[in-house]
Amino acid sequence: MGLVESGKLPKPLTSLLNTARKYSLWAYQWGLACCAIEMGAAFASPRYDVMRLGVIPLPASPRQADVVVISGTVTDKMVPAIKRLYEQMADPKYVISMGSCTNCGGPYWDSYSVTKGIDQIVPVDVYVPGCPPRPEALLEGIVLLQQRIGSEDMASRWRGDPIVVS
Amino acid sequence: MADETATTEAPEDQAPEQETDELHQGLLDRMTEGLGDAIVGSHIAPGHALWVRVRREAWREAARFVRDKLDCTFFDFLSGIDWMPSPWGRYEDAAGVDDPIPVPDPDAPIETGYAGGDTRFQVFCRLAKVRRPPHHAVILKADVPEDDLRIDSLVPLYGGANWHERECWEMFGITFEGHPALRHLYLPAEFEGHPLRKDFPLLARLVKPWPGIVDVEPMPEEAGANGGGDGDGGGDTEGGDA
Repeated sequence: MGLVESGKLPKPLTSLLNTARKYSLWAYQWGLACCAIEMGAAFASPRYDVMRLGVIPLPASPRQADVVVISGTVTDKMVPAIKRLYEQMADPKYVISMGSCTNCGGPYWDSYSVTKGIDQIVPVDVYVPGCPPRPEALLEGIVLLQQRIGSEDMASRWRGDPIVVS
Repeated sequence: MADETATTEAPEDQAPEQETDELHQGLLDRMTEGLGDAIVGSHIAPGHALWVRVRREAWREAARFVRDKLDCTFFDFLSGIDWMPSPWGRYEDAAGVDDPIPVPDPDAPIETGYAGGDTRFQVFCRLAKVRRPPHHAVILKADVPEDDLRIDSLVPLYGGANWHERECWEMFGITFEGHPALRHLYLPAEFEGHPLRKDFPLLARLVKPWPGIVDVEPMPEEAGANGGGDGDGGGDTEGGDA
């Protein structure tokens, strides 16, 4: 990928590579609560058939994943595990935050144990609202993420500093 | 639970129209006979359950009696109660959206539930006979003084009490003496405070009001009534005016 890093990649080639990337998203599933049921319906059922969008929902490990879907109630006790698995993913990596709990704490907004938004811990690319969101909402979130990847400047993404979670 | 008045030591003084409960009365009589003055309060809900409050020192002995003599071999659950009214008030008690939440008087006497109580903290557990009918259950309670939050562990009697006591310990700060490994169950190890105590501050609530109370929608019939009243400029506290 020396050509990509140099920033001299021709525009059509960037577009081609982005298209290739956005239609082969390996999605790592982080299901924590009821949102995971909807995520399972979106990812594993023939009714919604997420593979038609180019998403492969079952990577063997976070090291092979391009996107992680965090769905459900994140507790402060769970945060170190999420952070650790996110750090094991290879760049470029994307995060979809699914459901009110993951977005902001949701109905547990005043709880002593629930993290009020996973974006305090890892950078989130797409928020999917809902309690829980329907599978179609997650699919739309994936389409939005694909649009974002499609318009990405690969050179800056490649050359830029790695995303470090503090 | 809290608004019921407790009867102490005299269930037969109940109102005459209330049905008698021979099963639970018999259990209470046997406990009174076996444990003596360790029992400081009791309550019978006819046909439903029996509450017995015992002295803290007799907590394990009472459980042993209930297990061995009353055949309650099934440990249902154990938990704690904090009877202090929340010093932060209840959002349900606020008259309107913008009205302050009434804060209870800190010196007001504390109400306690069935079988009475003298302290802010109580520990209670439910022990049941499930092996063969007639089935019955006893709810044991004990007062735990606030300046000495210790009580005997039931783990030597019921292995199932282990995790319940760990939870009660981390949520209320009540120490169970004789517990084999009193460490955190749900909370992270570095967690500070006891979240189920009423005076535990929920920081999110201190910095902003409960968001749900802003979105109160009137019932359909109320909405119709308000439709006429809105012209007068009244009904400031109704959510529908927003």
